[in-house]
Amino acid sequence: MARMGMVFDLKACIGCNACVVACKQENSLPDGVFFTKTLSEEYGVFPLAKRVYIPTICNHCEDAPCEKVCPSGATHTREDGIVMVDDDKCIGCNSCAVACPYDQRTQMDAEKFLKGLYGTGEITPFEEQGYGRYTPGTVTKCDFCSQRVDVGLDPACVVTCPTNARIFGDLDDPQSAPSKMIRERHGRQPLPEKNTKPKVYYVN
Amino acid sequence: MSIENKVFSGDTLKVGYRFQRHWDNSMAYAFFCAELGAGLYFVSMLLGSMIGMIAGLVVVSTGKPYFHLAHMGVPGKSWRAMLRPDRSWISRGLWALAGMVAFSVLYLLCLAFGEQFGIRPDSALLWVLQILSGAFTLAVMVYQGFAMSHSSAIAIWSSAIMPMASLLYSLVVGVAVVRVLLPAPQAAALTGSLELLLLGLAVMHLMLLHSGWHGSPGARTSIELLLQTLYAKWFWGAVVAAGIVLPALLLWFAPSSAAVTVIVAVGILAGFMAWRILIFKIGVYEPIMSMNPFRSANT
Amino acid sequence: MATPRKKLEPTANSLKSGRWVASSCKMCLHSCGNLIHVTDDGVINKIEGNPTNPSNNGKLCTKGNTPIMRHYDPARFKQPMRRTNPEKGVGIDPKWEPISWEEAFEITTREIKKSMDEDPRKILPSLEDFQKMNIWAWALSFGNFNFYQSGGTMCGGAYHPINGYIHSAFACANDAKYCNYWINNGTGDGFSSHLHAAAQSNWVAKARTERNMRIVSVEPRLSIGSAKAEEWVPIRPATDRHFALGMSHVLVNEGLCDYQFLKRDTNAPYLVGEDGYFIRDANRQCYMWDLESNSAKLWNDESIGEIALEGNYEIDGKPCRPAFQVYKDILEECTPEAMSEITTVPAETIRRIAREFAKAAQIGATMKLEDGRTVPFRPAAYNYYRGAQGRKTGSQTNHSFKLVNVLIGNIDVPGGHMGVVLDGKEIDLNHCQPGESGMLHPTPHQLGPVPPFDYPPNTYHLMDYFPVGVNPPHFNLLVHENREKFGVQFKPDVIVNCHSNPVWAIQGPREKWFDFLRSMRFIVCVDLIRTEMTDWADIILPSNDVLESWNCTMIEPPHTEGMSFRQPAVPPLYDTKSEEEIFYELSERLGVLAAYNDVVNKTLGFEGHPELMLEPDKKYTDKEIARRKGLLWNGKDIDWYMERGHSVTEKRLDKWYRPWEGNRLHFYIEDFLVHRDDLKQKMEAADVPFRHEWQWDDYQPLPTPVLDPVHNEPPEYDLYAITFKDIQLNFGESLSNPWIKELVYRDPVHTGLLLNPRTAAAKGLKQGSIVKVESPYGKLYGRINTSEGMQPETVGVSNALSRMRSKDSGVLPAGGHFNDMLPYDLRNTDGASGQPETVCKVKLTKLDDWPDFLKEGRTVYDLIEELETAKGKGGQH
Ligand SMILES: Nc1nc2c(c(=O)[nH]1)N[C@H]1C(S)=C(S)[C@@H](COP(=O)(O)OP(=O)(O)OC[C@H]3O[C@@H](n4cnc5c(=O)[nH]c(N)nc54)[C@H](O)[C@@H]3O)O[C@H]1N2
Ligand SMILES: Nc1nc2c(c(=O)[nH]1)N[C@H]1C(S)=C(S)[C@@H](COP(=O)(O)OP(=O)(O)OC[C@H]3O[C@@H](n4cnc5c(=O)[nH]c(N)nc54)[C@H](O)[C@@H]3O)O[C@H]1N2
Ligand code: SF4
Ligand code: SF4
Ligand code: SF4
Ligand code: SF4
Ligand code: SF4
Ligand SMILES: [Mo]
Repeated sequence: MARMGMVFDLKACIGCNACVVACKQENSLPDGVFFTKTLSEEYGVFPLAKRVYIPTICNHCEDAPCEKVCPSGATHTREDGIVMVDDDKCIGCNSCAVACPYDQRTQMDAEKFLKGLYGTGEITPFEEQGYGRYTPGTVTKCDFCSQRVDVGLDPACVVTCPTNARIFGDLDDPQSAPSKMIRERHGRQPLPEKNTKPKVYYVN
Repeated sequence: MSIENKVFSGDTLKVGYRFQRHWDNSMAYAFFCAELGAGLYFVSMLLGSMIGMIAGLVVVSTGKPYFHLAHMGVPGKSWRAMLRPDRSWISRGLWALAGMVAFSVLYLLCLAFGEQFGIRPDSALLWVLQILSGAFTLAVMVYQGFAMSHSSAIAIWSSAIMPMASLLYSLVVGVAVVRVLLPAPQAAALTGSLELLLLGLAVMHLMLLHSGWHGSPGARTSIELLLQTLYAKWFWGAVVAAGIVLPALLLWFAPSSAAVTVIVAVGILAGFMAWRILIFKIGVYEPIMSMNPFRSANT
Repeated sequence: MATPRKKLEPTANSLKSGRWVASSCKMCLHSCGNLIHVTDDGVINKIEGNPTNPSNNGKLCTKGNTPIMRHYDPARFKQPMRRTNPEKGVGIDPKWEPISWEEAFEITTREIKKSMDEDPRKILPSLEDFQKMNIWAWALSFGNFNFYQSGGTMCGGAYHPINGYIHSAFACANDAKYCNYWINNGTGDGFSSHLHAAAQSNWVAKARTERNMRIVSVEPRLSIGSAKAEEWVPIRPATDRHFALGMSHVLVNEGLCDYQFLKRDTNAPYLVGEDGYFIRDANRQCYMWDLESNSAKLWNDESIGEIALEGNYEIDGKPCRPAFQVYKDILEECTPEAMSEITTVPAETIRRIAREFAKAAQIGATMKLEDGRTVPFRPAAYNYYRGAQGRKTGSQTNHSFKLVNVLIGNIDVPGGHMGVVLDGKEIDLNHCQPGESGMLHPTPHQLGPVPPFDYPPNTYHLMDYFPVGVNPPHFNLLVHENREKFGVQFKPDVIVNCHSNPVWAIQGPREKWFDFLRSMRFIVCVDLIRTEMTDWADIILPSNDVLESWNCTMIEPPHTEGMSFRQPAVPPLYDTKSEEEIFYELSERLGVLAAYNDVVNKTLGFEGHPELMLEPDKKYTDKEIARRKGLLWNGKDIDWYMERGHSVTEKRLDKWYRPWEGNRLHFYIEDFLVHRDDLKQKMEAADVPFRHEWQWDDYQPLPTPVLDPVHNEPPEYDLYAITFKDIQLNFGESLSNPWIKELVYRDPVHTGLLLNPRTAAAKGLKQGSIVKVESPYGKLYGRINTSEGMQPETVGVSNALSRMRSKDSGVLPAGGHFNDMLPYDLRNTDGASGQPETVCKVKLTKLDDWPDFLKEGRTVYDLIEELETAKGKGGQH
């Protein structure tokens, strides 16, 4: 059975956040809502200062605390390991949001849709054709572009990434690009001490 | 390392600590109501105070759902929260709440009107109802703590201290409030237990501060937030001074009077409310990943 | 926990039922290939990169992902409009009133004609669409050489001319396909800005991850490129030439040069006389020194044994030196130690990088190309752009960088430093032509013809006196303030502005520019959205956006050639027109249609292709022009392009590697002296009054270590200020785009004035301090963001902190504008190229609070504060 996962190549990533916009386009996300973010971190002292760019996303944890705490059964895991939120079942209790160590959950407040992307209350045709997929009040997150995956496409953020810093594939297949990368470049998971078994890895 | 050197990323794209902001104040009020109501009911039941039991039940069955619904994104589907008691403390809590309300109402009805239907005060039925309502009430008194401690996301919550705190606070506010409702002599008789409970509370807070300070970076950060930022005055002023020290001093030194009893209760309630809000506010997520080689040592 | 997948209508935008249109991007001036998804209801709901385009390989940068948000911007201009509020100014509502196209054209032509009839020079064009050079050149159709667009000033005023000299190309990029040692000096090449951010960052990332290409980034700021670099070399602003000279000193004195290349492929061995000119024979042929016969020989004398690069010789008793020796003599004082004092870069670092660079260049190595040629293989390259080149000494500065490359022989060879043409078609028009004496024909004028010398001047920005340079639009203000001094006998009173925001983009204090704009009788703007410039317009002619229009071009492609094709994904949303339709209509009504078609024929290269030539009296649509450009490129008609969206292929090897084969490159740019003396003599003859103030020293055949005047500002200005774009920003323009805006103001690089924490502490400042930043010329206000990634003498001002409020635009003002702090005078402008200084010296003053004008309304800093304190559901923390 497939186990979909992603690897972030920290050497490649330039922090452009094109991935973020691609995701917002694909998923018609309202203003201020992100399913993925590339963060930056500065450390060291001049002139040995450094800045790294760290993409973050739902890790589709194998032991997903968000799923464990979900009282309604809205959060569930697909056969291929993608952690999904069923919009119809979610009650918007935010339990998953406080349970996710990676702060990857966002509540889709009704007001977010009303304000519109320009903050003027005017809703564009782009928003109109897209907002319908969300139920206001529910709490949602990245679904690894499950529908694209179903038809054999890579996620939207992966496709646009100019530096190929996002590598998506089946972690159960030892020959897949992410599996190889994790092996060869010693992939590490985010916050392993939280025991969530993320299916997202970072290589340097 | 102190709080000033820590990066809080807010809603920006910086790697840093992020504040817990998903459980808002209405969630804090809901927790407050549940623990206050359940504690009051429980203590009143032990002491046989009908009015205390009714008051507790009213608080639990009105305040708690009201603030929960206010918090809920899709209130109309809230019933679905009962669907996963197998794994979710929220679901379990909801069952506990339902159980508490159902059995407590039955219990109270039987207590009040039972004899008209031939249910004697020492009947087994009443006894069973009391045990059931008490057990569910106890569950309500602790489950919120378990809901918080259950996941590892927010380090300061992720400890056995959370359910302990829930239980202790339930009992403390339960006793403090019931003293206001009871006749003076009975209230006075509870002074010792309340002092003991306050001592327990103080110990609990010390444990939290200690374990947080020496705990994971996230827990440490939460304690720093509590002690070194604008939250400090609320913590020292409300939680500690108004909620523990002042009541304890009054209980020790002040001649007992109705006024003192009320002041003690109000102080404790204020401290409890502050604590409920603060524990949500100081919750932080740890940086998702840091590449800073100098970081792990001192964060 | 497994649950069965639900079968639902897709909710992912790209999977909804609809069609894909193959087109190309224009969210910056480049032209990456994209695919536009349109739903059955005609809504554009997803844009992706076109994977068949070998330039961007299916990738899009941040901006390339956002055209939808420009398309549906409710603040777009929806129909022609006329100003009803006679009062003009920043933030003052023009009180637009919708009018018909007919009325708009009528007013516009009437107003333009009024001036045109009096004196065509009274018209000031500001036409800056790099993707539509046919519009750019419009004013030439009535002989007008005025220029108010920014292209040139803050951009590549000296960069383009020097590229024209060395590569006969417009721009430059490093060859990411083979390079192993990549120096970026004041540019985001491969990381953030520069050419085709999406494409080049894709190529560079591959080189870095697959080949471990080493990056060295020389910059005052830890930019994206510096952050990703193996080595960040912080440098004092405006001293990059000295860094390059220091490197060159090492290369030349340690024998680390490609002497073969210098001798055979450049004019470095040509003998230079004491006057700086080449020694020539009666037929104007140049000499080299033959070491074997120990005599001077003509450059094409086949009997030359061993060509001398160094030494001092005599011809007919007159002393002479090879050009290379001239440079070596200049470099003598440019020791790493001496350059270290100017640049703050340790001498050891300069020395080491020079050595590493030469080593990585593998001098002597060759590569066999698929076309059968064997060419040098030099996988080391030094690229630079706006940050490093924008100097008062721009010509010398660009030349110094170029020579680092020339010395190791990496010009236009695999792994090296490559010339890049402006529009792809130029490649096919054979952009490299033989010049005199075996040298490449120099093409410093990459943006078209320049006006001939005249006095009194015929241009408002003194272009009459820049036989080499691009265009100095900041001189419009200089002249405007003192027409008498410059002998200018006309006064422009009409601005025709299209796709240009000069009042934002050009240096000099805004207040003075506002006066300049107030002095105009009539301003027409062809634009999509409200900007600083459209706020001054009298008439708005709204244009179609990139998703509604046709075009065919390829702007500065680093590795590829061919045409990027643009086609409408949907019909125009509003009552807008293409720029072509607008300018054809204006041309016809103004009676310059035939002349305009002639200009377009020349500009787009239709000339010489009878079947493509535009007829004099016809008006053409954007579609027809696009069709002809496609035909010009590969003979394919529009259907072919509509299906594919491009004709992009990897560059043909003969055009990419050494396209100038057989010609010698200009190591020594004697042309500068030729132009200088010619201009001097003409100015003398015409008794041009300001000739003594002209910056003659800027005409140098080789770079020197002279200091730029910016370093000599009064000592109380103790810091430098710089500005930058980064990958999310198209200048500052994209900030009206909500997807860009929400990212930019979450990125710490764009949320405050960047300052090293130790510098801040020494001035009593810390993170969050509010400051006034003052240069000798202007000021701005801001909030400090401390960052260890700043050279300690430098304040970094993102373009995101330089916008002004403009009604209904969604753009938030910050604390002023970086460009206000820059000079616009002769002293700070390169006399040879017109390139002005683009960094300034500043002093910081701590303020207790924002000045009053920033307390009204919402500013960038209000938004940033909200985001930083993250008022989430749980309230403020
Ligand atoms: N994303 C994006 N790409 C673009 C554009 C855009 O707007 N956005 N514009 C296009 C255009 S027209 C141009 S001209 C190019 C420009 O491309 P670049 O030259 O790469 O653009 P900038 O970011 O303006 O400047 C580059 C860097 O110079 C640094 N700098 C400033 N002053 C100095 C200095 O004194 N010395 C040194 N060494 N560095 C300094 C800045 O920190 C900045 O990081 O990009 C083109 N590509
Ligand atoms: N402080 C500072 N100043 C700078 C720079 C900097 O980095 N910092 N960079 C400098 C450089 S390198 C350059 S090249 C210049 C650039 O200066 P400009 O070329 O003036 O650049 P923009 O600000 O992008 O303005 C372009 C205008 O075109 C409009 N526009 C966009 N799309 C379309 C379209 O499809 N049709 C029409 N008709 N209009 C359209 C936009 O609304 C905008 O008003 O700025 C220079 N000035
Ligand atoms: S698109 Fe790629 S390079 Fe850009 S931020 Fe995202 S992961 Fe990093
Ligand atoms: S990252 Fe968070 S939201 Fe995603 S599966 Fe893990 S716990 Fe759940
Ligand atoms: S918010 Fe929705 S998905 Fe999250 S725990 Fe509650 S019901 Fe489950
Ligand atoms: S996988 Fe899809 S949903 Fe998840 S971040 Fe990427 S684009 Fe967004
Ligand atoms: S680099 Fe320019 S043309 Fe290419 S995708 Fe980005 S914005 Fe579009
Ligand atoms: Mo530019």
